Amino acid sequence: MSKLFYPKLAATNIKKNYQTYVPYILTSIGTVMMYYILKTISLDDGLNSMSGGDSLKTILAMGSFVIGLFSLIFLFYTNSFLIKRRKKEFGLFNILGMEKKHISRVMFFETVYVSFISIILGLLGGIVLSKLMYMLLLKLLKFEVPMGYAISFTAVYKTLILFAGIFLLTFINNLRQIHLTKPIELLKGGQVGEKEPKTKWLLTLIGLAALAGGYIIAITTESPIAALYMFLIAVILVIIGTYCLFTAGSIALLKLLKKNKKYYYKTKHFITVSGMMYRMKQNAVGLANICILSTAVLVMLSTTVSLYIGMEDVLRTRYSRNLLITSYNITEEYRKDVKDTVSNILEQHGTEPENILEYRNLGFGAAKKGDSFVTGDEIGDTLSSDIKMLYFIPLEDYNAMNNTSYTLDNNEIFLIVNGETYTQETFTIFDTPLHIKEHHNSLGERLSDIGDIVNSFYVITNDLGQIEEMYRQKMGNSDESVTYYRYIYGFDINTEDEETIQISQDISSALENSYVESAAGSKEGFFSLYGGLFFLGIFLGGLFIMATVLIIYYKQISEGYDDKSRFEIMQKVGMSRGEIKKSIGSQVLTVFFLPIVTAAIHIAFAFKVITKLLALLNLTNVALFAWCTLGTLLVFAVFYAIIYVMTAKVYYKIVR
Amino acid sequence: MSILEVNNVKKIYTTRFGGNHVQALSDVSFTVEKGEYVAIMGESGSGKTTLLNILASLDKPTSGEVLLNGKSIVSISEKEISAFRRDNLGFVFQDFNLLDTFSLQDNIFLPLVLSGKTYEEMNSRLRPIAAKLGISDILGKYPYEVSGGQKQRAAVARALITGPQLVLADEPTGALDSRAADGLLHLFNEINDEGQTILMVTHSIKAASHAKRILFIKDGQVFHQLYKASMDNEAMYQKISDTLTMIATGGARNE
Repeated sequence: MSKLFYPKLAATNIKKNYQTYVPYILTSIGTVMMYYILKTISLDDGLNSMSGGDSLKTILAMGSFVIGLFSLIFLFYTNSFLIKRRKKEFGLFNILGMEKKHISRVMFFETVYVSFISIILGLLGGIVLSKLMYMLLLKLLKFEVPMGYAISFTAVYKTLILFAGIFLLTFINNLRQIHLTKPIELLKGGQVGEKEPKTKWLLTLIGLAALAGGYIIAITTESPIAALYMFLIAVILVIIGTYCLFTAGSIALLKLLKKNKKYYYKTKHFITVSGMMYRMKQNAVGLANICILSTAVLVMLSTTVSLYIGMEDVLRTRYSRNLLITSYNITEEYRKDVKDTVSNILEQHGTEPENILEYRNLGFGAAKKGDSFVTGDEIGDTLSSDIKMLYFIPLEDYNAMNNTSYTLDNNEIFLIVNGETYTQETFTIFDTPLHIKEHHNSLGERLSDIGDIVNSFYVITNDLGQIEEMYRQKMGNSDESVTYYRYIYGFDINTEDEETIQISQDISSALENSYVESAAGSKEGFFSLYGGLFFLGIFLGGLFIMATVLIIYYKQISEGYDDKSRFEIMQKVGMSRGEIKKSIGSQVLTVFFLPIVTAAIHIAFAFKVITKLLALLNLTNVALFAWCTLGTLLVFAVFYAIIYVMTAKVYYKIVR
Repeated sequence: MSILEVNNVKKIYTTRFGGNHVQALSDVSFTVEKGEYVAIMGESGSGKTTLLNILASLDKPTSGEVLLNGKSIVSISEKEISAFRRDNLGFVFQDFNLLDTFSLQDNIFLPLVLSGKTYEEMNSRLRPIAAKLGISDILGKYPYEVSGGQKQRAAVARALITGPQLVLADEPTGALDSRAADGLLHLFNEINDEGQTILMVTHSIKAASHAKRILFIKDGQVFHQLYKASMDNEAMYQKISDTLTMIATGGARNE
């Protein structure tokens, strides 16, 4: 036997199985490429020079880790599918006299071919595309970096190691599969007697309960802080619900339909119901996987896109004025000092403050219990209690801000509530009831500087000293409590970003005990964070779509082979080609679009809670998020439809 | 009156690029009378399966005509052919061709469901047939849960439930053990005694010896035929095997 026998046989095998191998190799190339690109960019030194570059690099490094992990799972999964399909072939080799070690040798060469092609083409593609991706990233970040960019050998090395490892693992797994099975089993391989699935009511009920629970949590969660951890619970519940309902629920439903004899014994439903039952039995887990992957892609893309597009909104929410000065010293002299310094510096830069915002406040968090608010240890568990931010503002400042001349007695307040309604007559703090003289609608301007994380109560009082005294007593008179008393001076200016940054630096160095923030100064940081997330979102989105495509493609192919014999029988029994095509078409369509429709429903329910989460990230533009969600859903659906048309073609080719 | 008329049927298979022509049937003519039980015998490659496929309207002859009840099945349009097959023909196959996604009952119902019958009607038709075939108890089971003989009986029930003009059987005993095969052949005799016309293709001498008439096909033509008349199965068996020996040794026609 020639030495070249095994390599040649391996090559022929791959060629013969091109229908399954080509997508596998393409996916491998794709994942290698993505991994290399992310790794290269995350290792690039050029990013160090930008503000927030470190966090960006961390995000990208995490992204490349996720891709690495995902590639492992994913390639492993597709490979096991390939081997399952080819078991018959190996069984035949075995019976024709090839020993298992010979088969292993053939398999070794196959793995070598596939991994060589994938890694080499993947790296080449990665090297070509990484420059493009790098430019795209920089464009997203609105950041100019000298393009000192070359092939990163560290990245090449790491990619090589990772994927060589993955392919080695798949090879070992294949060997295990072959060695564990007997030739006769190898021959039978794919076709093990199909039993009609049993109805699992318990699982169905669990699934329904979990899904309902997840949905209810998602739509009833009001506070963003609670949303943070409730979202996680909801996600887990929905995942459990999805798996249970796809596996058990679908079958329970079909069984119910089958029991209804009037419905079941109709030409249209007869074939479809029983066909669907077996399809669901075989594919439920795969479909649930696709559903969850799609949901993840959609959430990831829509949030990162809207954060990125809504950057200006985010900055305005986060910084209510172009320049905000916060001081923890509120003495009269100091305040005058701040204003003088600012106007001096602005004069030097030839600009004037507009839209001035100036007030003092005493702010702290408190838990709301009925009409009273408790602080400190009385709050108890911060996650389960109803936390509000309280801001006490002197009447004097309030009047100055709004050009009004309200008066208040001691123990009287104006109350402005942001984010909820408060109908009580009194407002009790530190066991001291304060009479609400009037409810005011708004301060005219958003005053909160921590965004909308929790609902805020603005209390306008005549006697801030009293509140402060009580607060200090409560907090044990520690120095820490003093820092909650703040003086805020903010204004807009008409300058370019660079000059604004310069001004803020000037003010910052001229004033002690003050903290100067500017939207312009933080922009780069925000862009590097949100731009990085956006970039990663696109990347992982692409990868997940690829995964979805491949899973669907393989599902269709294996179904095609199964359906082929069924198709023939039905034709012999007297079903016309057209009828069969229609019936199979509707089944395939259902199986295909079930995951994405479910994903869309998940998203619809998750919408509210995600907007709360985005509020934590300072994005409060719900309309923008809605459009982004709709947009990504649409793009995804288009992709999905294209995949469907392509796989359906392959499918009909097999069945015919 | 003849229920099936086959006149000068010829079938030539052409490879895709028109290179090779293979003549599967050169000139086949015969008739089947109502209530007859005819077996068609022949070696592998003699054209049996091609002939059956043409009779089943699964394939079209190159030339010649096939009349079922005086109606040409060659000229039926592609659209109507499935309904025609469903309503007029019953099939029993060697490998049963039961759908593993259906219970036996649903498998039997399949052709009726396709023609849009109600559940009540299907059920009332099924009950006597199932009783006769002895499968009443296993109707709820799935094909992988029952034996080959039971599967074949379910297939027979599926063929009979539409009340077809003609039952076509392709090697019905081919995948059965001898006991199950005997049972099935007896069943065929019973059904035939009740007036059902049966056409069976087989190369099992035993299966053929149960038929009332046997057509021998060789090289794409009807080569010889035998009538059972009053012979018993054993005598018929002997006669068939003599004929086959004669055909195999290339003896001349003795008709």
